[in-house]
Amino acid sequence: MNRQQTLMPLPLAADMIAAGQVLCIAGDEAALRQLPRGQWIGGTIPYFMTREGGQVSREQVFVTPITGFAEPPRLRFRDRAALPGVCRDAPESGYSIVIIPAFSDCHVEFAQHAPDYEEMYLKPLVGWIAGVHLDDLAQAKPRVVLGPTGEFADDCAVVMDVPLPPDRFAQIDIVNLFHPGHGPAIVFPASGFTVGACTLDGEPGNLAEYLTHAGIDTRLPLVADYCGALINVSIKAVDPASGRVELYAPVFPGLEYRIAAPVEDYVASFHQALPGQAPDIAFSCNCILNYLHSGLDGKRTGDLVGPFTFGEIGYQLLNQTLVYLTVS
Amino acid sequence: MNTKELVAAALEVRQPWQVTQIRHDLGPDQIDVWIGKEAARTGWLFGSRSSPGKPDERSWRHVNLGRLRCVIHGSPMLDGEGPVWLGDDEQPFTRLLSRRVAGLMHDGIGFGTICDLLDLPVAELWKFKHRLDNGKAVLATPQASRNEPLPALPAADDPLWESLLDGSIGIEMHALGLKLLLTKLREQWAVIGDPEVRALKVQELRRYFIRHEKSLARELAQLRLRATASEERP
Repeated sequence: MNRQQTLMPLPLAADMIAAGQVLCIAGDEAALRQLPRGQWIGGTIPYFMTREGGQVSREQVFVTPITGFAEPPRLRFRDRAALPGVCRDAPESGYSIVIIPAFSDCHVEFAQHAPDYEEMYLKPLVGWIAGVHLDDLAQAKPRVVLGPTGEFADDCAVVMDVPLPPDRFAQIDIVNLFHPGHGPAIVFPASGFTVGACTLDGEPGNLAEYLTHAGIDTRLPLVADYCGALINVSIKAVDPASGRVELYAPVFPGLEYRIAAPVEDYVASFHQALPGQAPDIAFSCNCILNYLHSGLDGKRTGDLVGPFTFGEIGYQLLNQTLVYLTVS
Repeated sequence: MNTKELVAAALEVRQPWQVTQIRHDLGPDQIDVWIGKEAARTGWLFGSRSSPGKPDERSWRHVNLGRLRCVIHGSPMLDGEGPVWLGDDEQPFTRLLSRRVAGLMHDGIGFGTICDLLDLPVAELWKFKHRLDNGKAVLATPQASRNEPLPALPAADDPLWESLLDGSIGIEMHALGLKLLLTKLREQWAVIGDPEVRALKVQELRRYFIRHEKSLARELAQLRLRATASEERP
């Protein structure tokens, strides 16, 4: 586990930057704006899972030191047009961390097209979607920061490419507490963040109608089985009148989704699902919906710490999932 | 950004290298680019510059810049290392283009198709192959050697790959990347009928195994076991 990965006061983070450390930093925008320029990338979010439990802080920042690289990591912005090259341009041996502002064109682009990016799945790509304090949703914009220039952006992703020595390799894993429930198999005719028409166990139907009539708890995500990897798509809003359901990530045609089975005790389930041996974790993040729906404020979630985000990236966009990267 | 800077960015030429000259009049649809190492300036007025026409200067065909055939002029590196846009002594292509050609050859792509794909004269390609066949050219770079197939990995034409892609067999997988990749390839496989495109999908999956050999011991063991079992079947 990366013991240095922690929530800390701004002066301490500033000292680490000044010392030339390479860092990935999460924090409220006002806090990030007080940090000096240096070898770091960042994204806005004030929710964190710490060793003491879930916390909200606008004053402190969560710092993940990046170590063990073969060459100095490359830090840069990527706009929507450049984002599809993120894996192609990643180091041959190593990994990349990407942070994308929520609700931006980059967010939509990545969510819908990342699986088709050149070299996708061949090179480890991990990261998260930047957000804002939920009280500020109406007036604040999620942003990312390029530390070397101190620039903030709400329309670009920020990427850190970390080359590793040839004898080391990075691996991405996820902890997903949700499993497909016993409801109907749901298949969508097209990809999208907003859906309606679908088939339910092969019969034509409408997801909004189904969720409403069946009294489904919409805090439970749709779950698809990707050759054994359970991938969630979280439900944002249901409008029975228009028959539309808004999602936090797109669904894809051809995949079979089911509403997740309820999780009785998130914290207990989480502890059971954690990897047995504490691996050498270089980076981790969890979903803000897990923080909200599972009442994690002040509750410990083991040694896996990091920001609670508006979406997690483990190659592609994930929802309600803990993502972590190990380096062996 | 001026033209030299733009071309340098397109070719990924980084300091201490720099584009020193560009010409667009030496051949139809051709751009010639001279690249040299940035020399330390001796004075603000008489700062030295790398200049075209040095005695050890060579030229190599590079990958096209848009529709323009790109020819790089520079001095070969003697230590075997160097940027991908440089070539080796007496090689017709830069290292990047050499790797692309070799990659296509490795995938069984015919010469005519390679020439079409990379806009190369057949004569230059034959010259390249001749040097390869006669041990006068080396492709082995860290990248190239990493991509060599593992001896025990089932061959690309082993029916095992098709079975894995059509879902008729499965293996226990631990790597998230492999699970996601196989899901994507299976969806594509289901709608692809063309055998050549299917062959590319097999190569895509094999490439994952080759690339992640170190972390796929369990998965590779299962593949080898299945391949051996199918060989022994009467």
